[in-house]
Amino acid sequence: MKKSENHSPAQPFGLAHPTTDVAAASPLARDLAGLLTHEDVDRARDRWRVSRARWAERRSKIFGRFSVLWLLVGPGVLVFLGENDAPSMLSYSATGARFGIGFFIPFVVLTFAMGLVVQEMTVRLGAVTHRGHAELIFDRFGRFWGFFAMGDLMIGNFLTLVTEFIGIRAGLGFFGIRPVVAVGVGLAVVFAAITTGRYWTWERITMGLAIFNALFVPAAILAHPDWGAVGRSLVTWTPLPHGNSFDVLLLILADIGATVTPWMIFFQQSAVVDKGMQPRDIGAGRFDTTLGAVLAAAFGIAAILATVPLFHHGIDASQFEAAQFAEALEPRIGHVGAALFALGIFEAGIVAAIAIATSSAYAFGEVFHTGHSLNRPLRDAWPFYSTLLGSACAAAALVLIPHAPLEFIILIVNVIAVLAMPPALAFLLLLVNDREVMGDQVNGFWENAAAIAVTVVLICAGLGFGVATVIHMS
Amino acid sequence: MKRQLGSKVDDVKSSNAKTKIGEKAFEPDAGPAAKPDLKHPDVVLSLLEADQVVAAKQRMHFGQRKLSLGVRVLLWGLRIYVVAMLVIVLISAFQAIHSAR
Repeated sequence: MKKSENHSPAQPFGLAHPTTDVAAASPLARDLAGLLTHEDVDRARDRWRVSRARWAERRSKIFGRFSVLWLLVGPGVLVFLGENDAPSMLSYSATGARFGIGFFIPFVVLTFAMGLVVQEMTVRLGAVTHRGHAELIFDRFGRFWGFFAMGDLMIGNFLTLVTEFIGIRAGLGFFGIRPVVAVGVGLAVVFAAITTGRYWTWERITMGLAIFNALFVPAAILAHPDWGAVGRSLVTWTPLPHGNSFDVLLLILADIGATVTPWMIFFQQSAVVDKGMQPRDIGAGRFDTTLGAVLAAAFGIAAILATVPLFHHGIDASQFEAAQFAEALEPRIGHVGAALFALGIFEAGIVAAIAIATSSAYAFGEVFHTGHSLNRPLRDAWPFYSTLLGSACAAAALVLIPHAPLEFIILIVNVIAVLAMPPALAFLLLLVNDREVMGDQVNGFWENAAAIAVTVVLICAGLGFGVATVIHMS
Repeated sequence: MKRQLGSKVDDVKSSNAKTKIGEKAFEPDAGPAAKPDLKHPDVVLSLLEADQVVAAKQRMHFGQRKLSLGVRVLLWGLRIYVVAMLVIVLISAFQAIHSAR
């Protein structure tokens, strides 16, 4: 195989290409034994726990299987609950306030099903290659295309990160907390999560935070939705949205386009690698991704239902921010419901900030061949952690700067994410169909049919959303 | 290139995918009392795939693929689309905010 230009010329192990042979049984074992790192040992510890759970599975089917799944869930849940970020939850809330119960309930389910098709491919890529998405793009397509992909990712991630801190500020603003304190709390949580020096601990802390996305469920229950209407809408997709057809179309396209963003592809693949998943874990990875999609869809629908009372009272919520939503909801679902809603927005911002900053750091480390694992101590992988914290600090600082162009950022962040999606999806599909990379795990006919159909829909939605936004803004 | 990549990698990948590699080496029998001594390199290596070890990953890479004309046209088309749309979006957003003020 031809080496790409950024490869080390040295091949001290005598192999010119990667192999997924088990390390102890490979001819490299003697060389590798002297070069093991802290990261390898931590990953081996995680693998041992999976082995032990598989051993238990042979003795107790239910308990053992639960243990295996418990150990292997994480990246999929995090990526989908991370995607239920502050702007997304506000978008769902605006949908509920504007259109009530109807078409958008099943539509949200459909968008997450499409997201599931895309994210499943990243699980296979990560488990088979043990490489992050950025690294694979650089390896297989070269620096030229690699830097384009990185540019899209970094710009999109930074702008999205800013909107997460806007969400954090707005969510805590409902409780009268000053912006500087709210943003400081957000940064402190991001920092606390990474100081563990263990991927496993980081993942569990972040999942623990992510589950608070469920705060929208009690908020929805307190809104006393018509559950019969919810059931009917899921089956019949009615009533259809009405009003300004251009705005409706824009919302549909935005919802489709925002289902899968480039950071999700990069993040989940890198997290699968950092977790140490292997080809035999792909089934569990699929379960993890499906679980994440189901939870995210349920919480997204809960956000829609929580704001339906605003629809019934004819309140225009199109320009609301988090605190304004909570304040408008307070007389209708009570102080507890409104507080839950505001906390939910805060949580959504925190989890997304952690996931997106980590996604940027993974990509940076993969491209510049510096340590890029949450299993590494701070001193060993300072460029990785600096990128993670630096991007979070810069985004947080921007939110606090008086007269910063936050309005401009909010306006363009979704558009940029959507615009960057078609190339990201093209790279993903090319990689997952690359037999030299994937071996037998390449997409089959039906996987390709589903993936291409979803990709075409997402690309068309992206194109449509981009064009419509431009026309709308002009 | 395919011949160089060779049957070895494909074979290994396919056998991994079907988990036909010796179960004992690939997933060591980890009984409840068998807490591993991870200070021992052999134990660590028995739990990881060769390609999972950091030192191996740093030295071995997938080579660059030859891009067909179709793929190059696709990538360039998407790149031109992104840049052109980005310029239009930025200008439109500036105008929208300016006119709102």
